[in-house]
Amino acid sequence: MAISTRYVAKETAANLMRNRLMTVASILTIAVSLSLVGVALLLQEGVSNATVRWSNGVNVAVFLQADVTSSQSVSVHDQLVAMPEVRHCFYMNKQATYSEFKRLYANQPDVYETATPANMPPSYRCVLSNPKDAQTVQAQFVHKPGVRNVAYPGLEINTMEKVALILQIVFLSLALILFLSAFVLIANTIRQAIFARRREIAVMKLVGATNWFIRIPFMMEGFVQGIVGGLIAFGAIFFLHWGLGYLVNHAGAQILKTIVISSNAMFVTAFAVVIAGIVLGTAGSLIAIRRFLDV
Amino acid sequence: MASGAGATLLALMYPEFLSVPGCNAGLYEMITFENVTKTYKRGVVALNDVTFDIEKGELVFIVGPSGSGKTTLLRLILREDSPDKGRIWVAGKEIAHLNHWRIPYLRRNMGCVFQDFRLLPNKSVFENVAFALEVIGRPQHVINAQVPQVLELVGLAKKRRNLPHELSGGEQQRVAIARAFVNRPLILLADEPTGNLDPSTSSGIMRLLDRINRTGTTTIIATHDASMVDMMRRRVVALEHGALVRDQERGIYGYGT
Repeated sequence: MAISTRYVAKETAANLMRNRLMTVASILTIAVSLSLVGVALLLQEGVSNATVRWSNGVNVAVFLQADVTSSQSVSVHDQLVAMPEVRHCFYMNKQATYSEFKRLYANQPDVYETATPANMPPSYRCVLSNPKDAQTVQAQFVHKPGVRNVAYPGLEINTMEKVALILQIVFLSLALILFLSAFVLIANTIRQAIFARRREIAVMKLVGATNWFIRIPFMMEGFVQGIVGGLIAFGAIFFLHWGLGYLVNHAGAQILKTIVISSNAMFVTAFAVVIAGIVLGTAGSLIAIRRFLDV
Repeated sequence: MASGAGATLLALMYPEFLSVPGCNAGLYEMITFENVTKTYKRGVVALNDVTFDIEKGELVFIVGPSGSGKTTLLRLILREDSPDKGRIWVAGKEIAHLNHWRIPYLRRNMGCVFQDFRLLPNKSVFENVAFALEVIGRPQHVINAQVPQVLELVGLAKKRRNLPHELSGGEQQRVAIARAFVNRPLILLADEPTGNLDPSTSSGIMRLLDRINRTGTTTIIATHDASMVDMMRRRVVALEHGALVRDQERGIYGYGT
């Protein structure tokens, strides 16, 4: 049976307007919780970008000259693996280094646009038995022929990862609590709407309206709350990302420079947040419908 | 009658229908109760082994004191409840074990009127009647054609813009009847339709129900309004403590007289 969109729109709008304060409360709760989720996800992305060189337990990176000869390269490799402190090494070619470079400087296009795969330094990424030996490796290799420089993660990387982890745990816990409250708020809003319309619902059942016909306006009410909350969170994430970029580029906030979040990642996260809002809103209303709408 | 002929044809084509109550050859039973028993929680017996037929186009009074099972009987026809024992046919379909999702379609064959009118207070007369069509997905042009017609029939064409609280009790009940009848149902059920009305208003409502019945709508009226039953002289089915105690053509109320 066709359910006219006009009817659904009219009823949904009437429900939302009837319960304005509750509607605003649930929309804001959704928006805040989803913004927190979004920020936590972006923080994860930013930190993993900043520390991409040191993923998979890499403790030291030996960068070669861009014009290194293959014999120089082989000799560096042989000497590296011969060291007792080195557990194993892998080679990172120019192309892979270029991709990593782009990821590191994603929010500074002027930096990576001048770079080409050809002028990237290839490197050996090594895992050490004891991370503290990174300095020894650096001292030994930094002046070898064909070696450009030797890098190892400083203390600040470790600190950054720890701080980010704590922030993420805090944000996600808060988001979880707000998620639950948003859920309860939506369910309660729908419950009140069902109660306010109990006479209409009784008549609808009596004259043979189908169950879905009765349910859909209430479902749409939760859906609208979810999508509006999600869109507000989208805006918040967008604004935060823009603000971060502004601080780095114009206000000289160098500390933030290491936390790199590409526009792409930001948009993916923001869209995920809107979808989460829709799911949250619809699920909340479905629960209320199941519990309180006896059709 | 056309539907009678239809049933005969059906019976000729599918002889097994002959044994099905509610689809007898030549006779079209609109409603059939077969040994229906309904017990509520805590052992209250609302209906006890009730069997009867109502033919298409009949007008039947269900009478009996409060608690005799009249309302339960209507609720079973509407499939707001299902019986514990026995079977019920409505318009040729067995409804006691009807799929849940088919119930709305069953109810589209019925109109229902109550003692307390059950109008929507914030909707006008027109909107109240239109609502019944709107929520079963009828298009606007059908609504615009049928609602004024039925309001004319119940004599409220001039009050289409009024809200229910601006109307008298009798007028409100007319709106309720218009809403029940606007979809041209096969069956009209009325539960104490004159229970809240004074005698002269009541007889007006009863005449209206009679007029609707004469359009071919099977009409079932549960009431303990003796004067109405006696005035109409139609079929009377009497219940007492959930049991069918009397079934009379052209009957009277017959209690306390």
